[in-house]
Amino acid sequence: MDRRKMLALLGISPALVAGTPAYAGPAGRRAEGASYEGSDETITVMNPGIANKVADRVPLAPRLKDLNNKMIYMVNLAWEGPDAANYFYDAMTDWFHQHYTGVQTKIGVTAEGMFGTDPALIKSIKDSHADAAVVGVAG
Amino acid sequence: MSRWAKQIETQVGIPTVCVAMDNIVHYAVTYIREYYTGMPLRFVAVPFPFTGQPKSVDVGYVTGKDMLNGGPLMAGVVSALTSPLTANEKISGAPANESVEPRLLPPDTEDNLRALFDAKEWSDYNWINLPTEKKVMAMLRGTSHKPDEIIKTVTITGGARPLSVEKVAISAVMAGASPEHFPVILALATQAPFGNSTSSMANMVVINGPIGKKLNFNSGTNAMGPYNRSNAVVGRAFTILSKTAGDLRNGINAWESLGSNFQYNNILYAENEDNLPDGWKPLHTQMGFNPDDNVVTVGTGWTSISSVGGSQELYPVHYLMRDYMRSLTASGSAATIVMDPTVAGLLQNAHGFKTKEQLSEWFSQNAEKTAGNYWGNGVIQSMVVPLALQGLEPYASWRKVPNETMIKPFTNSRAIHIVVTGGKIQTTWFVTDFGMRRGVKIDDWA
Repeated sequence: MDRRKMLALLGISPALVAGTPAYAGPAGRRAEGASYEGSDETITVMNPGIANKVADRVPLAPRLKDLNNKMIYMVNLAWEGPDAANYFYDAMTDWFHQHYTGVQTKIGVTAEGMFGTDPALIKSIKDSHADAAVVGVAG
Repeated sequence: MSRWAKQIETQVGIPTVCVAMDNIVHYAVTYIREYYTGMPLRFVAVPFPFTGQPKSVDVGYVTGKDMLNGGPLMAGVVSALTSPLTANEKISGAPANESVEPRLLPPDTEDNLRALFDAKEWSDYNWINLPTEKKVMAMLRGTSHKPDEIIKTVTITGGARPLSVEKVAISAVMAGASPEHFPVILALATQAPFGNSTSSMANMVVINGPIGKKLNFNSGTNAMGPYNRSNAVVGRAFTILSKTAGDLRNGINAWESLGSNFQYNNILYAENEDNLPDGWKPLHTQMGFNPDDNVVTVGTGWTSISSVGGSQELYPVHYLMRDYMRSLTASGSAATIVMDPTVAGLLQNAHGFKTKEQLSEWFSQNAEKTAGNYWGNGVIQSMVVPLALQGLEPYASWRKVPNETMIKPFTNSRAIHIVVTGGKIQTTWFVTDFGMRRGVKIDDWA
């Protein structure tokens, strides 16, 4: 039976079996796409890479002279749970109070998780008149 | 984290330092900085793992070393908040240099081009067809869509990469696909890139409609194995276009600790629509498509558990499936059960499930796990605890019960999908946590 008819009866497109030109090239000479492996002959191929948009640059906020008498707001991003960073932030709180005079600290846990926005937490940072922030802990 | 820090630096206007774990902090200070925030945020890093540790370990991280800069961690924190800004940290505005990718690569030998494709991580490291312009033009004849049409702009992992029909054709050629496959691959491209997580995220791709037979996708014996060209090349094309469109590179912005072998083919198979029990609808018609529509559906998840051996009267198959479901995270109530037609027949004839929907509802009502098991998962902690804290039920109540309390975490039966495939050789099935997205109509991409 004719191969094309047989494939049609099986419900398979003959072109599908033929595949890309690499499989279907004529015999006797190097078809388009045939292997050039080991050859010094050069070929041109298309670029799979896509140009990525580089973000506009944004400057950092001005830094403090020191942390004495400053309010430091520690943002707990609740990564792997709201309690995951408790020991860490408690220890960091102790460290700030041991090393800086008059320093104040506050810990705020985001209610929306690391991927949320939580405007209430941003408002809390503003309302507390924080001078600096620590954000974490995530990986 | 970078998004949060940027928000505080710009909206509140105060110096901020990020505390990251050292497993992916380099991604934050390189790729995210260049393509997402545009802001040279200051970081310190603690060792990984962080969570699940005794108190003494986490306290030790505070008094220990900054894994990013090498000095004491708290000295790094203080420095990040008090050291004057450098000239680089004061820059604002559009970047000086935009990245450019020429349409054609410079002419080179095949060996050198293959080495380049490997170095750029554009392939899955199996043998590819190099995408000559002639082959790509042939692939483009498989669709009526114009080569420069933008299917979507991929922003996952940072930046913005316009994915054109031509770029998908390049990936399709590389994967060894034929022009007849191209509409399926274009429909898949709308769902690209594939999953990318620190855990072993993967995808499942289901083909429904007459195109399954027309293009000879396998829905019979070895439907999920390496025994069929269409399953192989279309599944592989999703991998290659995910890597190129997602700009995914190992250790740069692809950071799955163990990775997933599923990502070579994305568990692509067709549903065995001819052997569904009466009353059991194909997946795509459950989603509202017509039976004659050709549809590709992509699911995302991590976990897949295979059954072994034949079914037993002693303990019905749906009991075993329910038991296996206890091992899933139940994130978003998602589960997809893939079963042989013989199993579907048993469930209907011996156990009375007249529809897939009845079976999904049974799983929703009967799959239980302890609250401790549920909350003891990092994904649930990160994604569901915020909902509980906002008072959303049943999560808020589940947070208050003792660990040993049994809960029914698959609250939404519509998120529990049943797919039938296989060759009627054995009464086997897979229980997976794949959450299925809405299907994409392949015919729209012909």
